[in-house]
Amino acid sequence: MRFVALAAAAALVLSGCATTATTAPAVESDQTAASTVECTTAALPETRIEIAALPAGPTSACITETGLHSPAPTTPSLPVTVTDAQGTEVTVTSADRILPLDLSGTISSTVFALGLGDRVVGRDTATAFPEASALPLVTQHGHQLNGEAILGLDPTVILTDTSLGPWDVILQMREAGIPVVVLPANRSIGSMGEFITDVADALGVPEAGAALAATAESAVDASAARIDAILPDSPGERLRMMFLYVRGSANVYYVFGEESGADELIHALGGVDAAADAGITGMRPLTAEAIVTAAPDVVLVMTHGLESVGGVDGLLEKVPALAQTPAGEQRRIIDVPDHEILSFGPDYSAVLDGVGAAIYAPGDAR
Amino acid sequence: MTAATVGENVVAEPRGATRGRAVWLISGLSVALVVLALVSAGVGQLPLTPLEVLHALLRPLGIEVGTPSTQPNAEAALWTIRFPRVAMSILVGAALATAGLLMQAVFGNPLAEPAVVGVSSGAALGAAASIVLGWTAFGGWMTAAAAFAMGLVTTLLVYAASRSNGRTEVVTLVLTGIAVNAVAQAGLALFVFLGDTQSREEIVFWQLGSLNGSMWRDVAIVLPVLLVAAVLAGVLAPKLDLLSLGERSARHLGVNVEALRAGTIVIVALLVSVAVAFTGIIGFVGIVIPHLMRMILGPAHRPLLIASLLGGAVLLTAADLGARTIVPYADLPIGMLTALVGGPFFFWLLRRTRAKAGGWG
Amino acid sequence: MSTDATTAAAGIMTTAAVDARGVTLTIDGRTILDDVDFRAERGRVHALIGPNGAGKSTLLAALAGDQRVTAGRIEVAGRALHDYRLRDLARIRAVLPQEHGVFFPFTVGQVIEMGRSPWARTEHEARDDAIVAQAAEAADVSHLLHRSVPTLSGGERGRAAFARVLAQTTGVLLLDEPTAALDIRHQEAVLATARERADAGDAIVVVLHDLGAAAAYADDVTLLAGGRVVATGGVDDVMTAALLTEIYGHPIDVLPGPIVLPRRTPRGTHR
Repeated sequence: MRFVALAAAAALVLSGCATTATTAPAVESDQTAASTVECTTAALPETRIEIAALPAGPTSACITETGLHSPAPTTPSLPVTVTDAQGTEVTVTSADRILPLDLSGTISSTVFALGLGDRVVGRDTATAFPEASALPLVTQHGHQLNGEAILGLDPTVILTDTSLGPWDVILQMREAGIPVVVLPANRSIGSMGEFITDVADALGVPEAGAALAATAESAVDASAARIDAILPDSPGERLRMMFLYVRGSANVYYVFGEESGADELIHALGGVDAAADAGITGMRPLTAEAIVTAAPDVVLVMTHGLESVGGVDGLLEKVPALAQTPAGEQRRIIDVPDHEILSFGPDYSAVLDGVGAAIYAPGDAR
Repeated sequence: MTAATVGENVVAEPRGATRGRAVWLISGLSVALVVLALVSAGVGQLPLTPLEVLHALLRPLGIEVGTPSTQPNAEAALWTIRFPRVAMSILVGAALATAGLLMQAVFGNPLAEPAVVGVSSGAALGAAASIVLGWTAFGGWMTAAAAFAMGLVTTLLVYAASRSNGRTEVVTLVLTGIAVNAVAQAGLALFVFLGDTQSREEIVFWQLGSLNGSMWRDVAIVLPVLLVAAVLAGVLAPKLDLLSLGERSARHLGVNVEALRAGTIVIVALLVSVAVAFTGIIGFVGIVIPHLMRMILGPAHRPLLIASLLGGAVLLTAADLGARTIVPYADLPIGMLTALVGGPFFFWLLRRTRAKAGGWG
Repeated sequence: MSTDATTAAAGIMTTAAVDARGVTLTIDGRTILDDVDFRAERGRVHALIGPNGAGKSTLLAALAGDQRVTAGRIEVAGRALHDYRLRDLARIRAVLPQEHGVFFPFTVGQVIEMGRSPWARTEHEARDDAIVAQAAEAADVSHLLHRSVPTLSGGERGRAAFARVLAQTTGVLLLDEPTAALDIRHQEAVLATARERADAGDAIVVVLHDLGAAAAYADDVTLLAGGRVVATGGVDDVMTAALLTEIYGHPIDVLPGPIVLPRRTPRGTHR
């Protein structure tokens, strides 16, 4: 279910790109700039907070750089043969020139975090952290893979999932003799560790992978625990949260409910999954009833999605039912950078910290 | 030519002139195709000169010509990406133009074209169903087969719905096409909704048409189909000429009209579906090329067939070249380009046909 | 102009080129042809006349093999019509329909050549050019050979179609109103050509609305009314004033010749 929802989210983003590609090719380039804006440090308060005392008004979540992407370099021990997520046996003989490609930039984030950043030769649109910003882009207009650009970079191994296409380009790379390791496209907090070790195994650095997985998992647990510590014990007093996918240019509006990935985020943020309460599973088109039944206190959206509907005012105008919810009345709309919010990568604890601060300490955040 | 009797010179003259024009046109198109193919193979993110292209092309045959490129992976790029793509643009262009020509013969109307009458969307629907519902055995064959089945059903549907009194009326043809397109698009939307990421993206790309990601395995399917279809069409060409006299007169001259129509429709469905299965909906090639060729060569189907095969290949190769070069580093959907050119042409043709026939003839 | 088909067919033809017996055609409960007997002999012009809706074109269509009949038997050159393969039948009989449109802009020359298609890949193919030229000459369209058919007038198109039918060089010609759109000169030319073909041994069946022309050019006449054969036989036997007047519902005089004239009120005596 989660896979479907995440995949569908990915597909929505893709289809948004497909339509905008023919009309406004310049859209995607903005995302790079937004993600690298330096935010002021947002910190969670130490003591218990008064939920009712939280101020009204929207907040933009600030995801700080953790320095995760420039650890000490590691050395791969190769060759190595792995069975990828599609069951294909792939033998990697050289990790000198690595090309990590996926829709949310999670793979490249992981490769850098494993200490192999020096060997990465190219990036996808979602990869925006400073260490990778100088790398050439191999996706055209956001999400279309360019086979020739890839070949021009002469990679020795390609790591991808099925979120970028056309799939035939990946097959062409295999035909050209480049080993391609396909990773699972579904992401969650629970599978984060396994994802990291899969990447590490394919690149011949299993020990670094195990260590990174452990670090990432415990960092996420720690962030979640910190948040939990400052919140009231009873769920009834906690904030009801809901994630909305909006893309104004294509009139696409979706609610993410149980087992969609967004629920994990909400739980880690110490919130109550309002959509699950309203009986929504996976991804569903937005309906007024769903929103009103869910009655969220806080609504999470992607930053560019919010821009595309004209900001908070635009969102409330386009989804009038929101105005009847506490989130709408209080204008508690939290926007999070598009490619971070459901990335579930090795730096996900930073996402939790940032979003947590935006929700629970809005006065301190940017 | 046999010994002259009264009036024979009058017959021989125009036929000789037409033959001359045909030779010129076909030679010209062939040369244009070769040049365009070489240039197109050289264009892209790794720029290569035609000499470098020739070198890479002929080296496996043991012929050393031109100079090798110094760019990394240039040969891999050519053989895995560019050559299959150029080959596909040639084959699909030829297939679409021929399908258009045959469709016009069967429907007796110069406006009949696979995309206009909705056959392309029907085939796309079949392909979408096969991908989303997971019928992907035999690699590309299953998708192509599903596209063919739906394409055939759609062609027969359009044919049955738009004929009356042994003729196809323009209005009915266009309206049937609109209806079929609408239903097929609805079906495609349903599959987009049901499909996973990969399927969804493939369906979106079908609706726009693209040669990106063309592989040799695709060429291996399209080429034999095109060859068989072209040979069959060549054999049937003189009989297709006779269809212009009307169903009754064609039968009086010994043509089994029903069998001819059924056979031609099967060939059209084949051609359209292999094209759609791999490159999506690319419209207007099937109407622009046969019509242009008909204006130059006249309506006799045998020379038209050869000219349309070549002309379609030239057009689509040129369009693909444009798709890759008009906007830097972008790959425009090729169906959009052919529609940009073909749409206005279709309008013009519509007006011209109406004016000549004095109404919806 | 002699025809290869005539000579070739001579061996298999019995007395009648076209022999229809007891032909009945019912569609949706309506009887269009009722127990019609019809014979067309070699070397003779047989005219089919009758008022509108009599079933003349339908009978011709049945004889041509276009229309399946409900009852009865039709033989062409001694063989049942539906025993023929289409291509073989195309070498025996040719049909000139009432409509002469062409869907694509073929030239007159190309259209006449289409008449040769049943003879493709036979030894007769070698004479295609000569036969096409002669047919064009006979139909007076030699000067129109490279004109595209859709640009021609109705009469010119009719003559082009006639040339095509001639070029098919068959022993049997079925002509449906061949003079309909033609001016007097061409009407006479077409019928004269039909006459010549009959003299050379072919069987000609021609549907005519012009009774005078029928009287002048036909050897045999069949008068059809309401789907039934009213009379059949020689011109003088069938085309009598009494019979024509009764069947056409208008006073018709038959003068020696025979000259057939509808009775008209002289000018100046109208009230």
